[in-house]
Amino acid sequence: MELLKNPAHRAWIVLMIATVITWYLGEVGAAGTTSIVAMLVIAFVKGRLVILDFMELREAPRMWRILLEGWLILVSSLILLAYWISLK
Amino acid sequence: MQFKSQAVAKPYFIAAIGLFVGQILFGLILGLQYVLGDFLFPAIPFNVARMVHTNLLIVWLLFGFMGGAYYMIPEESETELFSPKLALILFWTFLIAGALTIVGYLAVPYATLAELTGNNILETMGREFLEQPLPTKLGIVVVALGFLFNITMTVLKGKKTSISIVLLLGLWGLAVFFLFSFYNPVNVVLDKFFWWWTVHLWVEGVWELILGSFLAFVLIKTTGVDREVIEKWLYVIVTLTLITGIIGTGHHYFWIGTPEYWQWWGSIFSALEPIPFFAMTVFAFNMVNRRRREHPNKAAVLWALGTGVMAFLGAGVWGFLHTLAPVNYYTHGTQITAAHGHMAFYGAYAMVNLMMISYAMPILRGRAANSNKSQVLEMWSFWLMTVAIVFITLFLTAAGILQVWLQRVSDAPLPFMVAQDKIALFYWMREWAGAAFLIGLIIYIASFFVGGDEKEAA
Amino acid sequence: MPEPILIPSAEAPPARRLPGDLAIWFFILAEMLAFAVFFSAYAFARASHVEEFNLYQQTLDRNLGALNTFLLITGSWFVVLAVQAAHQDKGPAIARNILLGWLCGGGFLVVKVIEYSAKFGAGISMSTNTFYMFYISLTFFHFMHVILGMVILTVLWVQARKGVYGSHDAHGLESGAAYWHMVDLLWIVLFPLVYVMR
Repeated sequence: MELLKNPAHRAWIVLMIATVITWYLGEVGAAGTTSIVAMLVIAFVKGRLVILDFMELREAPRMWRILLEGWLILVSSLILLAYWISLK
Repeated sequence: MQFKSQAVAKPYFIAAIGLFVGQILFGLILGLQYVLGDFLFPAIPFNVARMVHTNLLIVWLLFGFMGGAYYMIPEESETELFSPKLALILFWTFLIAGALTIVGYLAVPYATLAELTGNNILETMGREFLEQPLPTKLGIVVVALGFLFNITMTVLKGKKTSISIVLLLGLWGLAVFFLFSFYNPVNVVLDKFFWWWTVHLWVEGVWELILGSFLAFVLIKTTGVDREVIEKWLYVIVTLTLITGIIGTGHHYFWIGTPEYWQWWGSIFSALEPIPFFAMTVFAFNMVNRRRREHPNKAAVLWALGTGVMAFLGAGVWGFLHTLAPVNYYTHGTQITAAHGHMAFYGAYAMVNLMMISYAMPILRGRAANSNKSQVLEMWSFWLMTVAIVFITLFLTAAGILQVWLQRVSDAPLPFMVAQDKIALFYWMREWAGAAFLIGLIIYIASFFVGGDEKEAA
Repeated sequence: MPEPILIPSAEAPPARRLPGDLAIWFFILAEMLAFAVFFSAYAFARASHVEEFNLYQQTLDRNLGALNTFLLITGSWFVVLAVQAAHQDKGPAIARNILLGWLCGGGFLVVKVIEYSAKFGAGISMSTNTFYMFYISLTFFHFMHVILGMVILTVLWVQARKGVYGSHDAHGLESGAAYWHMVDLLWIVLFPLVYVMR
């Protein structure tokens, strides 16, 4: 598959599939801890692909990679914390 | 001085400093009235002293902005000012109008002043910071329009740089938002809503653009860093300022009868308002560290760094302290606000004007920089005033925290005046810090008259 | 179709380089911080209104939300292709891909307007309840960023048509592209958070 040599193409395919999964989880009415964690993981993977392959930070100075990936981790953790509080 | 017409900035700067002295004197009177309620009563009641203190602040800053613009724009545009004569006519108009207004405040009761000046024709008076009588307000508009015409025409006939465009944006914004001072609906919610369009969008919006462009100009001149680099930073700062500042107006809409979502919008966006100020701090230090030359005017560089730091502390940190709706629920209208106001105005706008004056005045007086002796004195005044304002802020913050506690949080809340009595100690300390500030200001003025003979090699 | 090699080859490890301008990255970080605060505010406000949020979340149109995710991701992908084309000096492909990215953004706006008109038509406003306040605030704030991103893409398109970008200089293009990807990145978090997670 020549096409898959381009990281942008690979990223696009994964992002599309991931979006379908999130949408499907919504359609079946997934709720609760497992589905929340699953959706956050999916969002994290998607965000990371955008950062690394679309924004092309894979080869950028480490600080910038850390800053943007750190943002993803921070936001997902805060959301997770808030949802965890709401489940108690 | 590259262009002859830049000289019109000089009277503006002198007037600015003169009015600054007046502001501080009334500040000291006011501070004393906090603890000795009948001091100078009935000659100068508290409300009048306060009005004079705040109005003088605004007027001297405007003089500084205009002077700075008159100095900066010819140099940026690489052409003489469109009309130096108009600039001088407007100077005297503004100075006389300003002086008459202050005399009016002091000579007759405010209600009489309102009657005398035709407030019944168009009711605009009686609102904090916008107390000026109708003729003064109209005068401000005329002066501002004349000034903007002069500056804009100069930019149009000369070179257009990012710095001058940002300055124009700030100055036009200043004029446009002042127009809301003429809108005074009977509905108090609407009145307050639009009142902030002048007050907030000035100090947390368009004035920041003026601040940014002044800072960028002086940094280019003193550090020799590439214009492109400085402009890039300026763009980022301007965009961040506008995004956070405009929606940040919401932090004034918490408890005045506006819809509840303002509590979220106001909290979130004003929580981000420190970012542009932080960017300014980083900007100032970064550029000075990357300097390509040692400019002889060290004092101006010190003011530039100072305004970067103090604006961030006063506007950014002290603003953030009480900007979130749940916190502001308790701190609204207490001495916390006063603490923030003092440090923010000094750190951002007083200091940036002093920076511009410090950079431009020696050149206007025919030298690249003042003598070493004079600069040392100026740096002393920098530290004295800055440390004094830090202490004023800290004492007012302490007073504010106590006030919130005694009057609002505690199980047995005290009445306002009783709480005020209990925090009198902090008001006394604030007054002493204020006296130190005045000494700093006197030293600052003295620095203009010291060691002018021994000329520095440019 | 022969695909040029974009993955750095082993014999010449390239220096670590930040694509685009440093200033745009500071700007992006500040924007992302703003959204981080907004996202957390949503999540924590939800924690004290769980029933309300779960109930009204059901009224949102997940299909349109997912469609918009497709549009933004694809729009981002086109812009990546434009940057790659610039590095390989494939002139016409630069402008074409920017235009395709722009059209995806336009599609996003159309879908969003359809979604909004259904909601506003039903009399929903920011004052209806906390959930709708957040729904409208967050999506509208993001909406404005899509518009800004499209303005930037317009500038890039005009420049690309003039032949400004190529392997010698893709600085401006990379800066604008980075902003456009940020708009995408934010939606990737926003969509599951507001439309799906419960």
